[in-house]
Amino acid sequence: MSATAAAVRTLSVALAGNPNSGKTTLFNALTGLRQKIANYPGVTVERKTGRCQLDVGGPCEVIDLPGTYSLVATSPDEVVTRDVLRGLRADTPAPDVIVAVVDASNLPRNLYLVSQLLDLNLPLVVALNMSDIAERRGAPVDAQALAAALGVAVVPVVGHRRDGIRELISAIADAAVAEAVSDGQARPQRPAWPLPEALWEEVRRLGRELALSSSGEAADIHLDRARRLLVGDPAPDLAGLRTDATVVAEVERAHARLASLGIEAMASDIEARYRWIDAVSARVVRPAPPGPTLSERVDAVLIHRFFGLIVFLTVMAALFSSIFWLAAPLMDAINAGISWLGKALPDWLGLAPAAGAAPGALHSLIQDGIVAGVGAVVVFVPQVAILFLFLAVLEDSGYLARAAFLMDRLLAKVGLHGKSFIPLLSSFACAIPGIMATRTISSWRERLATIMVAPFMSCSARLPVYGLLVGTFFGHLPFWAQGLITLGCYVLGILAAVVTSLTMKLLTARREPPSPFLLELPTYKLPQVSQVARTTWSNTATFLTKAGTTIFCLSVLLWALAYYPRAPLAYLDEVQTHAEAQARATLAVTPAAAPVIAPVPSHPVAAEPQADPVAEAGAHARAQAAREYSLAGRLGKLIEPAIAPLGFDWKIGVGLIGAFAAREVFNSYLGIIYSVGEVEDDDAGRATLGNALLADRRADGTPVWTPLVAVSVLVWFVLAMQCISTTAVVRRETGGWRWPLIQLVGMNTLAYIVCLALYQIGSRL
Amino acid sequence: MPLITQATVPVSGAAPARRLDRLAIGASGVVTTVGGDPALRRRLLEMGFCPGVAVTVVRVAPLGDPIEVVLRGYHLSLRRAEAALVSLTSAAS
Repeated sequence: MSATAAAVRTLSVALAGNPNSGKTTLFNALTGLRQKIANYPGVTVERKTGRCQLDVGGPCEVIDLPGTYSLVATSPDEVVTRDVLRGLRADTPAPDVIVAVVDASNLPRNLYLVSQLLDLNLPLVVALNMSDIAERRGAPVDAQALAAALGVAVVPVVGHRRDGIRELISAIADAAVAEAVSDGQARPQRPAWPLPEALWEEVRRLGRELALSSSGEAADIHLDRARRLLVGDPAPDLAGLRTDATVVAEVERAHARLASLGIEAMASDIEARYRWIDAVSARVVRPAPPGPTLSERVDAVLIHRFFGLIVFLTVMAALFSSIFWLAAPLMDAINAGISWLGKALPDWLGLAPAAGAAPGALHSLIQDGIVAGVGAVVVFVPQVAILFLFLAVLEDSGYLARAAFLMDRLLAKVGLHGKSFIPLLSSFACAIPGIMATRTISSWRERLATIMVAPFMSCSARLPVYGLLVGTFFGHLPFWAQGLITLGCYVLGILAAVVTSLTMKLLTARREPPSPFLLELPTYKLPQVSQVARTTWSNTATFLTKAGTTIFCLSVLLWALAYYPRAPLAYLDEVQTHAEAQARATLAVTPAAAPVIAPVPSHPVAAEPQADPVAEAGAHARAQAAREYSLAGRLGKLIEPAIAPLGFDWKIGVGLIGAFAAREVFNSYLGIIYSVGEVEDDDAGRATLGNALLADRRADGTPVWTPLVAVSVLVWFVLAMQCISTTAVVRRETGGWRWPLIQLVGMNTLAYIVCLALYQIGSRL
Repeated sequence: MPLITQATVPVSGAAPARRLDRLAIGASGVVTTVGGDPALRRRLLEMGFCPGVAVTVVRVAPLGDPIEVVLRGYHLSLRRAEAALVSLTSAAS
């Protein structure tokens, strides 16, 4: 690369480092707010880039690569890191400068990755992060001595205090300039790890062999390839060589010769690096004084055999209850605001119907489609934001790894991972942030299992449905019995998750053994407010844009389904007249026309001022006829034969269709169908709807809703995958349609079978 | 715990080979060999379980698995099944 080319092109700088080395904090310090977070195409790994101004050479693009312990990748995140650094990704060119982020308080293991980064033969700068912690421990690292040992610039930094950031930026610019000026001659001289001489001999022999069959590449590139072939590096850039018969034979012969000397190439290579690391560490870092560190003393309590579980349960109970109690007032306020806006907005837009006339389509679209759709999304934001805030604090402090340590035994038994616990707990609020939180699970198998079972956790969108059905059909039971039924819903979901996860474990056991746990317990850190705020905001924004768009579009679609096509006015008039005539006839027979609806005991409703019962019956019949005529009504009728064996009639079918936007829409859709008007999500609103459900009769006069039907619907809501936004997020997180479709079909089949068995057996008892 | 009796059996000559998962809390050992399938073995070596490295068991999770160890100055938790792949000699404490 020539100097002019470097000046024209934006320099790309990659941050690479171990997990917990403070890479992201450093990334934030370098780029400030100029960040872009996306996904690498085709994989679910987050791609974080940002801009940074260099002193010389203008702006550069900084990439925050996923943390890894080694360039021999074992998880999708690590694959991305390896591929970017080796220049194997079409979407991200190999970086011009690599910044190796090294945790100074944990030097030896961090230097292992550095030894591999040195092999890449690219300009390299070491950012010696957390040098404050190392100093506080009495084990400071001598940056100059380290620089001498590595042959690259070493800059001590404290990411969260922005100490050393200017110096780091200068060092990056220097490395880039030196590279451009010297045309690659200024690259770090690789330190020589003490490989056994016999292994060196084989590396050189194979290197010569490789050089023969290709021309124009430097000898050290062939040497590096030879070494990687001998140690069995599975990286894709060697795929051609690994399948080349001559090379395979050479490698096999080399392995045989080494084996006769008792040398195994892979282990020898790693051990040689660590021997070099131990020698370097001995020179540059003073051994820490004996005695437990602060972090170790904290752990003595936080993951103590007995107190550890108490602390854990307390933290989780606090998290769980705050999702509901802290968010509840905000959610109520949002609900109230949305319902007010739904009424007010059409008026502001001049869409208020003339006196006596019915509101127009646009009026209905704004009130019941757009505003209600936005509301359905926004109402979840407080919960989701609080959840993400907690997760960010737990992760940033280092407690998340401890939570995984405490819970792994329990979860590993059913094929999950210690780190599955918090995503699953989050899913009790909403499966979408729960599924997004599975990104902390580095092993794909366990992460996938967690994603697949997360929607079985009863989310808060199911609660209004549970509330309606339990209150209406079991409201006569004592309070604790109602609580037990609701608890039963939660337990049923957990059971389904356990069974599903175990099934997945059995199905994949032969192909994929459980991934290793090997989890570092990092030093505790005080969470950084700016970092926590940033993570919370970026995750909440993702929720709003990804899930929000789906929920909103579906809300509008479902509005249209319930609104169109319009029934001909003549037909509606006829229905109304007919109903009024019937009501008049009934009134004549029973003049003491008490409403047929018995109030539900636990939800006494203040009696509404009695309107003209005849007119009311007419309006009711007219509205219901209009709904029946709509596409939603017709769809309900269409699926009725399929759902009748579960005890559901077409109106419940319509409610189930509505639940695809968000489960709690079931209530408002039923409200529309039963024409009880807008159902507020409060006790009175549910009681009004509940009474309408109790009063509903089939053509033969039997009630549509029996307790058995209610239980069947409850079970359906526990087990079925109804939330299209969750499906959209699963597609995003698994990088394709395969798993979300398996989940959608699988969960709904399970729900169907269980409800079918329940209703068919129940109705025969 | 039967492990303790095993650990205190007096041996003459070479120190007995022991497995990391059988070490009592607070006990240390020096890594001799690392087993397992190639990928897992490589990762264990890369995480620092090289022959000659001292490993100390810090604690066991409340439910009995995984365990927490210290090696090369950092804390790592690993499942017993993974720890069983690491063989040790009794440490010069």
